[in-house]
Amino acid sequence: MSQEIAHWLDNLLEEIEGIEIRRKSSRRVRVDVPADALPALLELLQGRAGYIHLSAISCVDWIDDEEFELVYHVWSYENHSLVSAHIRIAREPGVYLSVYDLYQPAAFFERDIHEMYGIHFEGSPNMGKFILTEWDGPPPMRKEFDSEAYINEHLSWQEYNPPWLQALIAEGGGVVIPPEEQRFSRKKS
Amino acid sequence: MSSINQIPVIEAKRGNPLSKVFDELVRFCRSRSLFILHYCTGCGAIELPPAMTSRFDMERLGIQPMVSPRQADILLITGYVSIKTLKRVILTYEQMGSPKYVIGICSCTVNGGMYWQSYATAKKLDEYMPVDLYIAGCMPRPEAVIAGLQQLMNRIQSGEANSWEDYFRNYDYYLGNQQKLFGDNWQTPTDIITEAKHYNLMGEGTFGEHTRLLEQHQKPLEALDMRLGHNLKEPTE
Repeated sequence: MSQEIAHWLDNLLEEIEGIEIRRKSSRRVRVDVPADALPALLELLQGRAGYIHLSAISCVDWIDDEEFELVYHVWSYENHSLVSAHIRIAREPGVYLSVYDLYQPAAFFERDIHEMYGIHFEGSPNMGKFILTEWDGPPPMRKEFDSEAYINEHLSWQEYNPPWLQALIAEGGGVVIPPEEQRFSRKKS
Repeated sequence: MSSINQIPVIEAKRGNPLSKVFDELVRFCRSRSLFILHYCTGCGAIELPPAMTSRFDMERLGIQPMVSPRQADILLITGYVSIKTLKRVILTYEQMGSPKYVIGICSCTVNGGMYWQSYATAKKLDEYMPVDLYIAGCMPRPEAVIAGLQQLMNRIQSGEANSWEDYFRNYDYYLGNQQKLFGDNWQTPTDIITEAKHYNLMGEGTFGEHTRLLEQHQKPLEALDMRLGHNLKEPTE
């Protein structure tokens, strides 16, 4: 039965142009679509394939490509499968359409992404402050935000190096801080 | 010695000869009846239920949880303090009646712990309020929490645990750090300077540039309207 549905789903998805489907497992499908085809894809998945539950919208900042990646995870209670639709949008100006009219929980995720990454979703009901109500800095999850520089400016720090930790470090354990070249905030300089 | 007036007289402080004994008794009683404010900030709070309940049983030491800040003696900061939470922690701390004690549990209150790099977490708790005792660990076991509380009891009994006076005596330092983090408009509903005057706990550090900045924009406190239904519309006649 599930094989049948999977086959049928693949046929359905091929109706959209420029789509790339990768089947990760029997219950997970990764779909890469152009940004302007995503609302049509979600409408198709919701209306004709029973993917009625939007689990999450996640965001990845690809600063070197100057792009944001948005991932829409939709779940079907009938097929018991998850479709992850990946799109890429330009980092500047970072504007995309809201899918609130298709999935109402999207308002929650979009507001969160707006706060953390500064992406504006057109048509989303509320783009106000959400969790960081007392924050007036830049969106903190963007890669160009240097958290260490921020805390060095605003907060002071104290060393805590008790003898038991020194003994651990002497044995090769303890706190591991990645080398300078692997840390993004140090890469720019 | 020509005149009797030239004989140096050391004026002995007259007082109750039993006052020292009485103080000691008060301190003993105080250290045996501690109420912990039920205010949990981070993940370390999960170690408190076993410490309070039958397995480790804090109550055999006379330590109990308490729900309101005005009736509590100990403010336990159990883990990371985000900057938003820190405002509430300071408001809570200022509302507690003296003498009050602050215990910082977990590594996060010492220096941010695993959140040392986070923009949202305050790093040093003792910059914003005087801390009596730190219990480091991620997280400390209930045994460690109870050992720390016992150490606090000993310190109260010997009269060393008086860092709450430090908040009044060095209010300018604490206020300066709070203003640095929350902006110059920061004001708490509690008037610490008036309280310090009232309790005769003024020190050299009570006033300073930061308290002057506070006085510039400080709004006087107003008594709350205690009528029932005061937010309802007045009937128009």
